[in-house]
Amino acid sequence: MTLAIQTAPREHYRLKHVVKSEVVKIVTLRSTAITLGLTVAVGLLVTGLVTNAALHHGPGYYSGFDPTQAALTGLIVAGLTGGVFGALLVTGEYSSGTIRTTLAATPKRRVLLAAKIGVTAATTVVFCELLSFVSFFLGEGILSGSGAPSANLGSPGALRAVLMTGLFIALMALMSFGFGLICRSTPAAIAAFVGVVFVLPLVMHGISEPDVRYLPTNILTNSIMSTVNQGPGGIVRPLSPALGLLLMAMYAAIAVAAGAVLFVKRDA
Amino acid sequence: MITAHSLTKRYGATTAVDNLTFEVPPGVVTGFLGPNGSGKSTTMRMIMGLDVPDSGTALIGGKRYCELAWPLREVGGLLDAKAFHPARSARNHLRWLALTNDIPLRRVDEVLDHVGLSSVAGRPVGKFSLGMSQRLGIAATLLGDPGVLLFDEPVNGLDPEGIRWVRHFLRGLAAEGRTVFVSSHLISEMSVTADRLVVIGRGRLIADTSVADFVNRSGGGAVKLITPDLAAFTSALTVEGANVGAGDGGSLTVEGLTAPQIGDLAARDGLRIHELMPISASLEDAFMELTQDEVEYRPSTMAGAAAAGRKE
Repeated sequence: MTLAIQTAPREHYRLKHVVKSEVVKIVTLRSTAITLGLTVAVGLLVTGLVTNAALHHGPGYYSGFDPTQAALTGLIVAGLTGGVFGALLVTGEYSSGTIRTTLAATPKRRVLLAAKIGVTAATTVVFCELLSFVSFFLGEGILSGSGAPSANLGSPGALRAVLMTGLFIALMALMSFGFGLICRSTPAAIAAFVGVVFVLPLVMHGISEPDVRYLPTNILTNSIMSTVNQGPGGIVRPLSPALGLLLMAMYAAIAVAAGAVLFVKRDA
Repeated sequence: MITAHSLTKRYGATTAVDNLTFEVPPGVVTGFLGPNGSGKSTTMRMIMGLDVPDSGTALIGGKRYCELAWPLREVGGLLDAKAFHPARSARNHLRWLALTNDIPLRRVDEVLDHVGLSSVAGRPVGKFSLGMSQRLGIAATLLGDPGVLLFDEPVNGLDPEGIRWVRHFLRGLAAEGRTVFVSSHLISEMSVTADRLVVIGRGRLIADTSVADFVNRSGGGAVKLITPDLAAFTSALTVEGANVGAGDGGSLTVEGLTAPQIGDLAARDGLRIHELMPISASLEDAFMELTQDEVEYRPSTMAGAAAAGRKE
């Protein structure tokens, strides 16, 4: 054996050590690049197609047309892949068994969880905000070329919509992260996420139309992305952007809190 | 030093680990022996703080695992050879692990070199053979240069060369004064690797003893004798107080006298010996005998504690 004996530093491991390691974990996985790369490609493609389809119509077509919302449409795709990304950050560790290595290295589960939540939130917020702005500029670039109504960041509500959309999708990813903590299996967590975000709205439409507006996807499209206040012309008056964002933050907090309680208590 | 005291873990109606008390001292290799499903892995997971015991404690140097200031610098554990993400490279796996305990990153290449994985350090570990995965798991245990090491079935799936390597490696760690705790269901492997044994069956302590003692306790001391002077030898041995049984092919099985004593007796009486061979019970025989009759050898808490105390 030629292993050098090291002297351990004083004190003990802290949040900053776990955060650094969680960042390296995310950066060193190819699935991160694939998920995020796919999100950018498909998201921008959707924005491009939607805004392009809105070109070359008669003036009547554009009554109630919201150029900001159109330019942010691609972010709905980010809502899906962001959810997969958030769930995978937890369930990937369980499916591979890495979680036991992680817990052996940092057995204080609250510290570990705080680091994971912080890194997940920071990564998704930065990424979704960037994508939100890029998507907005791309969409408005396409719209402004040909007589269709377009917006810029100075337009009423536009900056608010762009910023909140990025934040909202990051919150959706965090909710999915919470599902990951609860389910500990990739298929189960993704099924739960897709169920709540994309299937529940379809079911709810048939049950209670007014309550649909409390669902994440409806909040996203009607309250967050939109800058036009859909009044009685729409079917249901949407929630205000602030209330919508608060509600989504609450959903994410409930999912993460439930997952956290289980994570701290359960055997690994 | 690892100390388990009255460790108990239940899963529903089944008791996986039942009131287990033992100590693992530094400086020797302690084998943790038991049939598959006897509770070895559960015990190790409780020592590592992954599972919470229903009652009892598992301490490392007097502390619970989750109280350790720098876990990787104090304990190295290999519980699962494949406990890493398949898409990550070996070097990156060790890098994030090192960061958790503020271990310098140059240490990553040191341990990779030590286990002979330097040339494949950049490859995704999902492509590793079981042997390479075991080596990576071992490299991970060495990152923090810990004084206490636990290995759950480390030779499973290894080729003979790999098994030899692990054996030397474990003995080397113990020789440096570290506490080494190795589980196995392979009795023959433990007989050459371990100095001490903690034997369990169905979650209960069966023995906590040295390897030599364990073998002696069970069926040791008989001698096989082949002689043309069967009748004369038998009566001479009986006179000396030995217990003589007829073996196959005109041989005798002698209990109560050692091979040198029998040889001396033959010289004294002018009896011919064609073959004289002590039958040392293998560790395997001892193990089978002990686990077959679990009820007889089931220790009370007192017996378990006494067995642990006797070895100190």
